[in-house]
Amino acid sequence: MSSRSTIPSILQPSLGQRVGRAALILVALLFVAGFLVLPIVAVFTQAFSQGWAMYRDSIHQQDVLSALRLTGLVACIAVPLNMVFGIAASWAITRFEFHGKSLLITLIDIPLAVSPVVAGMMYVEVFGLHGWLGPWLKQHNLHVIFAVPGIVLATVFVTFPFVARELIPFMQAQGSDEEVAAVVLGAGGWNIFWRVTLPNIKWALLYGTILAASRSIGEFGAVSVVSGHIRGETTTLPLQVEMLYNEYNFTAAFAAASLLTLAAIVTLVIKKILEVTSRVHQHIPERDIES
Amino acid sequence: MSIQVEQISKQYGSFTALADVSLTIGSGELVALLGPSGSGKTTLLRIIAGLESPDAGSILLHGEESTQHSASKRGIGFVFQHYALFRHMTIAENIAFGLRVQSRKLRPSRRDIRERVQELLHLVQLDSYAQMYPEQLSGGQRQRVALARALAVRPKVLLLDEPFSALDAKVRKDLRDWLRRIHDDLHVTTVLVTHDQEEALEVADRVAILNRGKLEQIGTPQSIYDNPASPFVYNFLGNVNLFHGRLLADLSSVERGSGANDPVQSAIGFVRPHELEISRTLPLDGRAVLAKVVRIHAAGPQVRVELSIAGNGNPVAAELGRKQFEELALVLGDDIFVWPQSIRLFDDAGAKSLLLDQGAGI
Repeated sequence: MSSRSTIPSILQPSLGQRVGRAALILVALLFVAGFLVLPIVAVFTQAFSQGWAMYRDSIHQQDVLSALRLTGLVACIAVPLNMVFGIAASWAITRFEFHGKSLLITLIDIPLAVSPVVAGMMYVEVFGLHGWLGPWLKQHNLHVIFAVPGIVLATVFVTFPFVARELIPFMQAQGSDEEVAAVVLGAGGWNIFWRVTLPNIKWALLYGTILAASRSIGEFGAVSVVSGHIRGETTTLPLQVEMLYNEYNFTAAFAAASLLTLAAIVTLVIKKILEVTSRVHQHIPERDIES
Repeated sequence: MSIQVEQISKQYGSFTALADVSLTIGSGELVALLGPSGSGKTTLLRIIAGLESPDAGSILLHGEESTQHSASKRGIGFVFQHYALFRHMTIAENIAFGLRVQSRKLRPSRRDIRERVQELLHLVQLDSYAQMYPEQLSGGQRQRVALARALAVRPKVLLLDEPFSALDAKVRKDLRDWLRRIHDDLHVTTVLVTHDQEEALEVADRVAILNRGKLEQIGTPQSIYDNPASPFVYNFLGNVNLFHGRLLADLSSVERGSGANDPVQSAIGFVRPHELEISRTLPLDGRAVLAKVVRIHAAGPQVRVELSIAGNGNPVAAELGRKQFEELALVLGDDIFVWPQSIRLFDDAGAKSLLLDQGAGI
């Protein structure tokens, strides 16, 4: 008897099994190629269809540049806010028992469940000229809707859950043992947060932040409702893409779109790197079921 | 520093974790809190540490009312079952943590901290591990680091919550001896929570046995082993043979002869396996019963023999020395005579106990 025959059948697939596997892999690859790779290639092909110079000029338009700046500004405000909220919420949820905890967990998910357009309309209803706070805001000469603050608010709303949703399961898995140990060793809240909690959650926090940043750069629906589409003032990059496209300025539209696509690809790469790094650094010890 | 636990009660919803527990732990003493899971021993330790607050009662540390003091202000060292080392810090940083977070006025200089860390690394015999991370160490090594970290701040009280239960048997035994040696060197008041009776009896100066949130008995290992105050304690401290009702009817007749005048109607009798005598011939006083050998565990210094009493088939376990075992040349299925050297009786409430030294029978 040859040693080969002792290999379990699962490792020695029959011809039929092998064909089946190949077919499944082929279907998956075709799907990815058709629905993901091809469109991305199309975006860049269109963007560069009139040559590099035209691409550069499209991006160097005043409106596109200001849209780029606004998108950056909104992300720079919304993302840190979400980090602070995310840490606070996950700390509260994973470290303390309080009434309304499950309600809070549910509320955090609302932005994921609600259509972004509805989110935008809620802000118009609250802050708009004819909204609840409209008269008061007008009196004090504050502009929220059709201005930058409204765009920031809408972006904060839609990116609300990202950091918290990353941190909560992670902090639950880690447990609070190390923090309790720090308390007993005499550390105060400040020391515990900076020396124990934050170093332990940093990779998950970064991961959530990346996701929030990517969403805040790409958000369209909610921002579209509150922005008012004022060229060069309240247009973010995704809105700019739509405007250029509606004006049949395809090359410029795709050039701007290519920037967003690039941002997404960069995000994915960073995300992947973080996944690998955090797996190396964040070894969660196995715990006994006992006790 | 002494610890006084005064009438502590703690309730979790409808579950009573502790009910009116009082005990005093002397300065420099090593006391083990022993009990099965759910007995309240860990809750009591966490209340002493200030990690839980009692519903009623008070904790006095060195005679000073400390119930309201926060855990970070009590000056205690705490060792957790799962080590709870800071995973992103090196071993040296872990040990130094308690010193580094002290307020500026109290904090030792960097040099003093470094020296103290060296000293502790030496104490726990991990000198060369200073720059490693916790996950590079074995369980036993991690727990030694945890102990060093707890001792770094020179606590007046050291509290250990099942520190060895996540380790394998051999390491557990080594660490237990080592903990006792460290305690003898440092004389820091120590409370050790454990569910392992062998560990408690071997390491502690005194053992406090908890059951369902109540203190069953406290005393030196020998005193509680020799004079268990309740059936629970007797049962918990080691293997035991239990004799109920029917057997006691026979016993009461034995008792009349031995002069005990307590009317034992329904009671429970306990005999430890090593207190049973085995013989191939019927002893002269004739009180032995016939039993069949159903199992033999001969791996170890003591041979454990499982017997089945003839007539009722009740299982009984006996332990005998190797020498006697070889002399008897027992094999499975043998019919032999068995009788207790002594038997301890508890009445129904478990309140009264009686030791029959001589002339007991099954």
